[in-house]
Amino acid sequence: MTETSLSTAEDDLPEMQSAARRLLRMLWADKFALCAALFLLVVVVLAIIGPHLLDAAAQKQNLRMRNAPPFGFANGWMGVLGADALGRPLLPRIIVAMQNTMLVAAGAVFFSSIMGSLLGLVAGYAKPGVSQVIMRLADVIMSFPSLLLAVVVLYMAGPSVLNLVLVLAITRIPVYLRTTRAEVLEVRERMFVSAARVMGASSRRIVFRHILPVVLPTLMTIATLDFAFVMLAESSLSFLGIGIQPPDITWGLMIAQGRSYLTTAWWLSFWPGLAIILTTLSLNLLSNWMRIALDPVQRWRLEMGGRKNG
Amino acid sequence: MTSFIQKRALTSLISLVGLVVLVFFLSRLTGDPAALFLPIDATDAMREQFREIHGLNDPLLVQFWHYIVDLAHLNFGESIRKARPAIDVVLEGFLWTFQLAVITMVLVTGAAVVVGSLAAFKAGGFFDRFASFVSLIGASAPDFWIAIVGIVVFAVSLGWVPTSGTGTPLHWILPIAVLFIRPFGLIVQVVRGSMITALSSAYVKTARAKGVRTRPIIFVHALRNALLPVITVIGDQAAALLNGAVVVETIFGFPGVGKLMIDSILQRDFNVVLAAIMVTALAIFIMNLLIDLAYSLLDPRIRN
Amino acid sequence: MLKKSLLLGALALVASAAPALAQDHSVKIVLNEEADLLEPCMATRSNIGRIILENVNETLTELDVRGKKGLMPRLAESWEQTSPNEWRFHLRKGVKFSDGSDFDATDVKASFDRAMDKSITCETPRYFGDMTIQASVVDPYTVDFVTDPVQPILPLLMSLVTIVPSETPVKFVRQPVGTGPYKVTDWTPGQQIVLSRRDDYWGDKPQVDKATYVFRQDPAVRAAMVKTGEADIAPSISADVADDPKMDVSFLNSETVYIRLDQSMAPINDVRVRKALNLAIDRQAFVGTLVPKGTELAVAMFPPSTLGWNPDVKVPPYDPAEAKKLLAAAKADGVPVDTKLTLVARTANFPNVTEVMEAIQQQLQEVGFNVDLKFYEVAEFEKMYSKPYPTDMGPQLVTAMHDNSKGDPVFSMFFKYASDGRQSGLKDPKVDDLISAASEATGDSRAQLWSQLVKYLHDDIWADVLLFHMVDFARVGPRVDFTPSIATNAQLQLSSISFK
Repeated sequence: MTETSLSTAEDDLPEMQSAARRLLRMLWADKFALCAALFLLVVVVLAIIGPHLLDAAAQKQNLRMRNAPPFGFANGWMGVLGADALGRPLLPRIIVAMQNTMLVAAGAVFFSSIMGSLLGLVAGYAKPGVSQVIMRLADVIMSFPSLLLAVVVLYMAGPSVLNLVLVLAITRIPVYLRTTRAEVLEVRERMFVSAARVMGASSRRIVFRHILPVVLPTLMTIATLDFAFVMLAESSLSFLGIGIQPPDITWGLMIAQGRSYLTTAWWLSFWPGLAIILTTLSLNLLSNWMRIALDPVQRWRLEMGGRKNG
Repeated sequence: MTSFIQKRALTSLISLVGLVVLVFFLSRLTGDPAALFLPIDATDAMREQFREIHGLNDPLLVQFWHYIVDLAHLNFGESIRKARPAIDVVLEGFLWTFQLAVITMVLVTGAAVVVGSLAAFKAGGFFDRFASFVSLIGASAPDFWIAIVGIVVFAVSLGWVPTSGTGTPLHWILPIAVLFIRPFGLIVQVVRGSMITALSSAYVKTARAKGVRTRPIIFVHALRNALLPVITVIGDQAAALLNGAVVVETIFGFPGVGKLMIDSILQRDFNVVLAAIMVTALAIFIMNLLIDLAYSLLDPRIRN
Repeated sequence: MLKKSLLLGALALVASAAPALAQDHSVKIVLNEEADLLEPCMATRSNIGRIILENVNETLTELDVRGKKGLMPRLAESWEQTSPNEWRFHLRKGVKFSDGSDFDATDVKASFDRAMDKSITCETPRYFGDMTIQASVVDPYTVDFVTDPVQPILPLLMSLVTIVPSETPVKFVRQPVGTGPYKVTDWTPGQQIVLSRRDDYWGDKPQVDKATYVFRQDPAVRAAMVKTGEADIAPSISADVADDPKMDVSFLNSETVYIRLDQSMAPINDVRVRKALNLAIDRQAFVGTLVPKGTELAVAMFPPSTLGWNPDVKVPPYDPAEAKKLLAAAKADGVPVDTKLTLVARTANFPNVTEVMEAIQQQLQEVGFNVDLKFYEVAEFEKMYSKPYPTDMGPQLVTAMHDNSKGDPVFSMFFKYASDGRQSGLKDPKVDDLISAASEATGDSRAQLWSQLVKYLHDDIWADVLLFHMVDFARVGPRVDFTPSIATNAQLQLSSISFK
């Protein structure tokens, strides 16, 4: 038993290594995507370790440093991005807020995309009756005001990261659902799907083996954009006073809190805003790269060495 | 076609009823309107009296029954806050929101399809990178941030447009510009994505091989196929706008249904919330119907 | 609709392009919140009162909020106490409502009865508490009020009762009719309310002939509107956006921020713990940083211009060392000082509330309190703010803001400190006795009893943590002359506006 599994692992190892090396080479070929990947790596690492290292620094108030402008090195490297209305240095705050922000955004995108695309696959491929039920359900969710949902959940269960994920995930389901269904409707009529059907493949196999891979790139595009959308939606909830509540922090909350200082201390909401923009941009660049890297038809563009990736 | 529309109308009615039931009970779980309407130091007797007048002391199911009976007579109830029929309040707001949504979506769609297609045609080229970059930055900046900066720059410093409010066409420029940015970024990306897929698909290659000129390739062959997901996303964005652009309406003092909705939710003015949801839901259902019709026009295979 | 608004827009452009004739005497005022009703009996609510109180609907008496004249006649020319529980008001003659009808004693009685009617939920009854009051018409220009129990400040209370014609139905109205210098001539919900000056007003003719009210929720936008000349007055903008000393005026707004202590629970029931809470907060450090310069440190629940203000009560010093000592002493006696306390606050209660609360939390933690900070939206907050208090959350420190611009502590003290008070954290017989004695007293002894109560609450039992008397900022455009007063958030008399 052990022997067999060991031997398979040994067999797989070189293959996996070479696949990984190939991916890395393709990443190297697209410098934009490389930067994006590195940036996201830093974000993920900081999101995991940041709060442990910097929580104290991020919470330490110092009214003398209230709204201290950025690039004042007098306050040490922590104060390089300036300080907020309580004199708390912004750099460690942004890093500490990363964890909640990523949890909220990734959580919401993860749950809504899984639920949405599964339902969408079913709705697109199943009998019209089932499809109708699912689509009307999507209508209900779409017309249910997300703000009311937020107030209901946050009123009954309290404002926490998990509840926020729940609210945002539910409201985003229809986007994936409808997009997936629309694509499935088109793809399922294509030749190769019909061929698979004729050859007696089961519905599940057709959906997951033949249709899903074709739909996936569009879903990826939407998911990366949704990542930004969710971070901003969370910020808007904070703007309206029904989002995450201090002392918890997220980038969205930081932007909302800084808005009253837009004319006097722009850095309060600028840096967290920039963090959101950079994260989104990186995700998008990476997903564009992945689209090509995973597409057997287009992969050559990257394998040519990236001299010309147009 | 008529039977299709009839069927859809019926199923939509079912989901509308589901929505009303859901909202009726969920909203009543969020606390007592008396606590919000009356001053925070009102006496218990005043609260009791308030609940009695507005029928809030009846069991929930009784309240629901009254509501449904009234609704059957097309009576949407009174707004507790405004002492006038809820449906009047909502229709006033919806008219504003509807105009805002339609103008914005028309502009966004036109601009995004052109930019997205051009970007896809030379994927990876300078224009593509530039368009992606700009649209992404737009799509990832918070709208209240853009709105306030827009007011500071274009209304206060430059004096080109009024800060807020309604009245002249100039008043519409800033709110529409702010609303434009996010859906634009999103739709450009989706158009670009689907166009790349469409352009690399076999029939376009065949067309290219046959020597069809480039422009028709994009706009006749590829775009037609790429439009399906694009229309879906446009529909979602339009639905979001029809639900009311809360933040933009709040900042610009734009009397739309989004601002009305958030105010009514926060003040627990249930009748207005319900009427607003029914009106916007109806609009969204109609829009979804149009989208499905568009699907079948674009791709005859889909008619089912 | 779109066409119509385009057309209107074009007209407006034409109109604004026309040269301003000699002098334009209209003003535009931008408020933070729309009035959802213009109901006279709700005029004590600030979003309604700012528009109609004394502009459209007048009262029998009026409190001088700008000078020291005290209570002034308005629709009543004079009044007297005919017996301990009976007051007589003599009404002004020759006053007309904006609908053309004459004002007389039956209107006063009808207005009063309407405001107290059980079938509509006016705000007025809350100021009269459990009192029973009966109005009766003596002759067309004389009204008697019989109260039970005695009510020494009835004339002051009458400054809160707006007068409407006796024909007004007993349900909420949207087109108020009153005796004031203005009438409502246009109300486009969500957009604007317009008041126009009446020619048949009984009193002096104010300078402003037309006032347009518009509503913007964001303070930065309100400030920007005055700056660009789109509005003339923004009565309340936040300190953060008040960056133009030429236009911005600060004023004490009669709001008091405090932390309510529920003394039914350990460790808050120990006076040393309450004192430690008071000494741990560096109030002065907030002023000019998180709360605007000009904010006064509070030693009472009501602002200094109120009757019974006690100048001998001093702000507690910031003394963290002493606070730690007090906590240690309490701990030695077995008081559970490590119990987790929940500091409760309301979202968006006042500008910078988040930062202020986070700073207070940190200051309390520094002397050794175990404090959690929780923010609630208003409906949830209300459940913690008013009795019955939740019992499953452990001891709570509820931060709230209380408004009293009415000149007498009676509007605060019973609610906040009596054993039966709806937001009270105490059960102290001495406090109850002082409140009921002061409520029935008049003149100097009334002021003295209130002062005594203030001192007892603040210095002897450390009843709560009083923080700030808040200031607000108004931005006033260059065309007009307007000085805000302590009551500006509750009423904004157009007659106090003049042109430069």
